[in-house]
Amino acid sequence: VSARLADVLWRFRYPACALILLGFVALAPLTNFTDLDNDISAWISRDDPVYQTYERFRDEFGGGRALIVALRSPELFTAESLRFVRDVTEDIKRIDRVQRVQSLSTANVVRALPAADSEESGGIEVQPLLDDLEKPDSAAAVRREALGDDLLRGDLVSEDGTVTAIVVTFDEDRIDEVRGEVIDAIHDTVDRRLPAGMEAYYNGSLEISEAYNRITLENTRNLTPPILLLTILAVYVMFRSWRITGVVVISILVSTVWTMGLFVLMGFKYNVLASMLPALVIVLAIADDVHIVQHFTHDLRDTGDRKHAFLSSVEHLFAPLLGASATTALGLLSLATSDVYSVRTFGIGAATGVMVDFVMSLVFVPTLLTLIRPETAPPPQERWLVGPMRAVARLSIAYARPVLACALVAAVLATAGISRLRVDTNHINFFSERHPLHQSADVIDRYLSGIYSFNILFEGAADSMKTPDTLQRMERLRERLQQLPFVRKVVSVADYVKRVNRELYGGSRDAAVVPDSGDAIAQELFVFGLSDDGRVELERMVASDYSRAQMSVKLASMSSDLVFEQINEAERLAAAAFEGSGITVTVTGAGRIFATLDHYLVVSQLSSFATAFVTVFGVIFIVFRSARFGLLGVVANAVPVFAVLGLMGWMDISLNVATVMVASVALGIVDDDTIHFINRYRRETAHGVSSADAIELATIHEGRASLTTAIVNSLGFGLMVFSEYRPTAWFGGLLALTMAVAFIAEVFVVPAVITVLPRVYGRPAALRRVGSAA
Amino acid sequence: VIAAVAASTIATALLGVTGPATGAALPAVATQAEGTPDWVAARIEARDTGKDSRADMRMRLFDRQGRMRERVMTLLARRDPAGDKTLVRFTYPNDIKNTAFLVWEHPGADDERFLYLPALGRVRRIAGAEKQESFVGSDLSYEDIGGREIADYTYSFSDPDAAWTAPDGSRHPAWSLESRARDPHADYPRSVSLVRKDSFVIVHADVYNARDERVKTFDVKKLERVDGIWTVLSLSVANDRDKTRTELETTSIRYNVGLSEADFSRRRLEQHTR
Repeated sequence: VSARLADVLWRFRYPACALILLGFVALAPLTNFTDLDNDISAWISRDDPVYQTYERFRDEFGGGRALIVALRSPELFTAESLRFVRDVTEDIKRIDRVQRVQSLSTANVVRALPAADSEESGGIEVQPLLDDLEKPDSAAAVRREALGDDLLRGDLVSEDGTVTAIVVTFDEDRIDEVRGEVIDAIHDTVDRRLPAGMEAYYNGSLEISEAYNRITLENTRNLTPPILLLTILAVYVMFRSWRITGVVVISILVSTVWTMGLFVLMGFKYNVLASMLPALVIVLAIADDVHIVQHFTHDLRDTGDRKHAFLSSVEHLFAPLLGASATTALGLLSLATSDVYSVRTFGIGAATGVMVDFVMSLVFVPTLLTLIRPETAPPPQERWLVGPMRAVARLSIAYARPVLACALVAAVLATAGISRLRVDTNHINFFSERHPLHQSADVIDRYLSGIYSFNILFEGAADSMKTPDTLQRMERLRERLQQLPFVRKVVSVADYVKRVNRELYGGSRDAAVVPDSGDAIAQELFVFGLSDDGRVELERMVASDYSRAQMSVKLASMSSDLVFEQINEAERLAAAAFEGSGITVTVTGAGRIFATLDHYLVVSQLSSFATAFVTVFGVIFIVFRSARFGLLGVVANAVPVFAVLGLMGWMDISLNVATVMVASVALGIVDDDTIHFINRYRRETAHGVSSADAIELATIHEGRASLTTAIVNSLGFGLMVFSEYRPTAWFGGLLALTMAVAFIAEVFVVPAVITVLPRVYGRPAALRRVGSAA
Repeated sequence: VIAAVAASTIATALLGVTGPATGAALPAVATQAEGTPDWVAARIEARDTGKDSRADMRMRLFDRQGRMRERVMTLLARRDPAGDKTLVRFTYPNDIKNTAFLVWEHPGADDERFLYLPALGRVRRIAGAEKQESFVGSDLSYEDIGGREIADYTYSFSDPDAAWTAPDGSRHPAWSLESRARDPHADYPRSVSLVRKDSFVIVHADVYNARDERVKTFDVKKLERVDGIWTVLSLSVANDRDKTRTELETTSIRYNVGLSEADFSRRRLEQHTR
């Protein structure tokens, strides 16, 4: 089959290459990514029930897509600082697409007034908090009133009066078109006039999304060129030929454009995970290309016949390349089982890339190699590495048992590390402590009510959300939730009723209760909704027909597994509080989404890894047509995957949207070299070579190619550690490590197992089981 | 906050008040050259709307999801040189029945407002509420109801020969009048209104924010003469920003019914029967 295919490819090599180049030209314009999508739907499917509940919630109570500006100053309550807050608030209101701005400047304070005469029973006064900053002592009065207001304190102003927030919400239907510009305009408005001693911190879902968009572009711009450059240098150093380097680079570029073009044609959105695809395709393409280049140049040097070199390369490498590519693609494709959109599309995109690389390495690369002037001298890669690789082979054979003992110890350590693995999808933790998002989250968490939240959605019949029973249940639930660790602030419609009731009864704290009369509640809510601000605030807490209401629970920023615990507990408390009320209670909001994402990641990890495990090893068994050698392949490939997972556990690297892919991707990548190695070993033994010599030959030739690709790939993936986005850095770093460990497993563990088990893997066994793959 | 022309027209249309306007610095009609934008603005303000009025109204509030809430109220209004007075009493829905609201306007000073909540049984004074704020939770503001000093604006014609097509399909000559706030910091610095030439009633208005985005649209749905006074009997206000809408329908109205000062006292607020 391989020989016939080689013959067909030789005959149609030019039309095939023309087709590849035509596709390259057609797909190139699609790879200019400007439409980025890092919103929450990049992480969770729009069809997911949890997301749909969240959408229903957002549709009713407005989106949580806000930008939070935290202003911190030891001199916050001075006339100058408060004037700055007022002026900046007004200026932000005038920025395009800004819908509302909440700050100390827009806050109203409600005060009880004494009775003016016998015809009235006192009154209530609603005044802007920053009413008149020109009066002496006005700043002190503002401080007193802001810190005395339960709804403001801890939310818009910190308990110690040193931090205040400006919360900006937008026209959600139109903000995405100009999001970057609007955020820049807000930063500029604030930063330009910041008073001395005041610091501004930015956070909120919109700021995070924008940071993701920036990282997506930066990943593409900053990672792809250095990885390509490094690849060029590494290929040049290994083969010391600009012509070969040129062939490899052209092949890589064509593969990358094809992959990303197909990614777009499949209708996938470009996001922060997809931004790692070009780098991944480049690195993976190298592995295939190095094998072809090494075989082709070696054959050409021996025979001096380009056609022979072409046919020999394709014939000998078709099966192992197909096996290697198919297993890599299947490993990546296993991510398509994930419920996380970005992981799913990354897996499909990367699998596509691998198969594109396979076609390129089999058709495009050898065709280009036939067109260039042949190299006469052996490449440095051959001169430098043959000696050391021979030594490695002899060492593995001579010290087979100690090598396996070391592998066993590593396996035990890895298992212990795996048990320490934890899941964390807290986006703030994805940025370093020095990153502005991390710093702003720290300030908002420490001084205000935190950037993370979840919501409890109450649904019942019309008017059911303003009965005394419902509001009293909400109040009891609030008290219970407030006792949970990490919960910073809980607000529901009951708080608004309590607030109005308190002021209508003279401002006494004792009057801050939910009345027993339904009419009193209805009338107090009516009073609250008389003002514009009151109406808007009520719309965010309760539906106009009082059939739905929500409770907002704000949390400190924390690992999402802790959020998950809090949400589970909140769900339990809410269900208990509303038992028998006829009102359904659902926990939703951003916190709920992240907790769900955690759950999905764990399931993804298991399902995609299980899928990868079955499919990859299935292909290995098919390629070798041997259970014994299949099993050897399994052992050799499991070692690096378990080692990396174990290391993640020991290094406290969480399972998150990026690292969750490492195991499956690694499994798919590392088996390539093992397939080549075992294939070579069996081919040599089939030709009568002894086991020891076959190991030596396989180590020298295939191990050398593996070392070359391991060096190039480890350096390539290693460059990702410079990404400011930690999951990208972890993903790259871990894959680099995987490549290194995989190489060690291939040249030490596989020979050691063969040596220790001569009756299973020795020459006669190899001869007995040799299949067509050889 | 909306432009004076739209505001005063709605105010006069809804409240049916008559007599000289109480706002300060109103440009007298006689001082304006006939046919100029300022003259039109002054004529709108000065048109006959009765000494007092009693109206039954039905307010339909539509939220973002299109859900409708209905409120029914009785509105008493009296024009007074010392300040107009307005009393609104809700009769539906039942849980806010008899909740009442009293406004005493004081030219050149803050208005006084009083609230009566039957569940509390006492009258409460409300101070500090902004004129721009929502009128009883609707898309109308107090300014829309109570009017605004027209001298705060400058006027120009967008189209002196415009036309308004009534809901029944009839076309009426109109001015398209643009009002711009003199205050550079006004939240809603511009509005464009259609003013019917035969009645000086504003029948349509678009209100713009500081970014010159349209935020509110007023549309008169039904305009008739009642007791010889042009009266808006049905009005719709759409809030483009909040995606809400308010429809206000006057189910009955009588002018010059002889309301006295006592009808607008705080004690009267507590009295449930009309």
